[in-house]
Amino acid sequence: MTFGIFLLFGFAILALAGGTSNLPPPEKMDLLSRLAGPSERHLLGTDHLGRDLLSRLLAAIPVSLGAALKTMAAILAIALPWGLISGLAGGRTDMVMMRLADIVMAFPTLVLALAVIGFMGASLEASIIGVAVAWWPSNARLIRALVLSANERDFVKASYLAGASRRRVIFRHVLPQILPPLAVIVSLETASVLLALSSLSFLGIGAQPPMPEWGAMLNEARPFFAHAPHMLIAPGLAVVCAVLAFNLVGEGLRDLLDKRRPYQW
Amino acid sequence: MLRFLLTRLAVTVPTLLGMSFVAFAIVALAPGDPVQMELRAMGIVPKPEDIAAIKAAYGLDKPFFIRYAHWLARALQFDFGTSVATGRSVIAEIGHHMPATLMLSLVSLVGAVGISLALGTLAVMADRFTANCVRALSIVLVSVPPFWLALLFIHVFVLNLGWSRLVGDGSAIDLILPALTLSIGAGAAMGRFVYERVRAEACEDYVRLAIAKGVSPFGILLGHIGPRIIGSMTTVWANTLGWLLGGAVIVESIFSWPGLGQLILQAISQRDFPIIQGYLVLMGLVFFVTSFLADIVLVLADPQLRRGLADE
Repeated sequence: MTFGIFLLFGFAILALAGGTSNLPPPEKMDLLSRLAGPSERHLLGTDHLGRDLLSRLLAAIPVSLGAALKTMAAILAIALPWGLISGLAGGRTDMVMMRLADIVMAFPTLVLALAVIGFMGASLEASIIGVAVAWWPSNARLIRALVLSANERDFVKASYLAGASRRRVIFRHVLPQILPPLAVIVSLETASVLLALSSLSFLGIGAQPPMPEWGAMLNEARPFFAHAPHMLIAPGLAVVCAVLAFNLVGEGLRDLLDKRRPYQW
Repeated sequence: MLRFLLTRLAVTVPTLLGMSFVAFAIVALAPGDPVQMELRAMGIVPKPEDIAAIKAAYGLDKPFFIRYAHWLARALQFDFGTSVATGRSVIAEIGHHMPATLMLSLVSLVGAVGISLALGTLAVMADRFTANCVRALSIVLVSVPPFWLALLFIHVFVLNLGWSRLVGDGSAIDLILPALTLSIGAGAAMGRFVYERVRAEACEDYVRLAIAKGVSPFGILLGHIGPRIIGSMTTVWANTLGWLLGGAVIVESIFSWPGLGQLILQAISQRDFPIIQGYLVLMGLVFFVTSFLADIVLVLADPQLRRGLADE
């Protein structure tokens, strides 16, 4: 988990450094040194248009990570109220809301995201919306489960009996209980959303060139990968590290929260 | 038993209706007027009265729900119209490519199940150091994007070692690399779940009792924990198949496997709505059927629920 946090801080610092460094700008083409391998002038080499890979890689941090965070924010904006209302209201409201979520969940997630992008036209915004549409129901379900178990605790019932308003119970007693497990879910889900978004960009239906984005950079590298493998290594490793960071933080948090000990021989 | 199956089937009808509505409404909500777009694609600048005439011819001037009813009636006969790009019927286009995608997804699922059971049980059973290594390995494997793994595989196995070829004809040998690519990521993700579930069960008292009785660790895993988690495992397998159906698009385009991937990517770039709609409905249906089967297995795997069935 420490390594995961370290990686995330590393990305934040690199993103800031990318803006202030004296690297060539990410869009600057140098057609004389196309597909050049790593050298002193271009630490990670150049791509097929002679653009500096390191500079593009750094410029892609806010785009790629930003897209993942925006998507996650959109997912939470739907899933959190949905799960809360469904879990607390119970009865018919609960049934209808969960049924609606089930209907969206009945489609394979990536297939639904692809279809939404197909109808909206390929762009980074469309892929963000597509992934959010496909991902929110499972999160709403998880949040509802958390709310249900949080609502069962004796002190929650006690505060209802003591005459606390519904809003007070939700914000003072229910939400604080579900925040730690929610942090685990958010972290792990951000990792999977990041993977999905970069896959879509790689397929050419997410971020569009010349926007610097890791998946899109890998897509541009495809025709040249026999002659210029350096174009593949760096962006790929960047995606792996970013996804790994979120996964490590999520798993680490989960281990911290897990108090049970298995019986062993 | 039959009654149980029939009630289960009846419960799914609203979900199926809802799914069909989503698949229909998503086109209606798409930006842009399909008639104008198609005419413009043919190079015609339409007059307003032409558009009205075409809309009437296609029934697009009717209210939303009547159009939905018409569409549903045709969809029930697997008639999703014709592809805008090729002019062939959607069901023929998709039916032509679907078997390859289903094959790839199923083979990958088998691989992923094998990998997940190996990783998950190893992480629980082995000593602390090995277990931590296995868990770290699973997290890394989960984090590797399948498309990048695919490119690395091609670089190593096709370009450097020459063990495989890139332009295949859809035979079994060409299936190995794409299936391996998909099953590694999915297997690692499921392995984490196996680990979670086995660990959670190992905290229960019945495991403590089994240890006290002297049942071997392997005996506990197979005889006590296994039956308890098989139900939830089938649910996860069904969900993973759903992921693989979508993930197949990613590796198919890299390994030029003749599945739905190429078709759907082309349809997206050409804004070929009927194909996308048909794809969404049919993939949804495949996934729905597997989830339904997993649901039944879930009930059958639980002795208490099964006894309830027999008593009915």
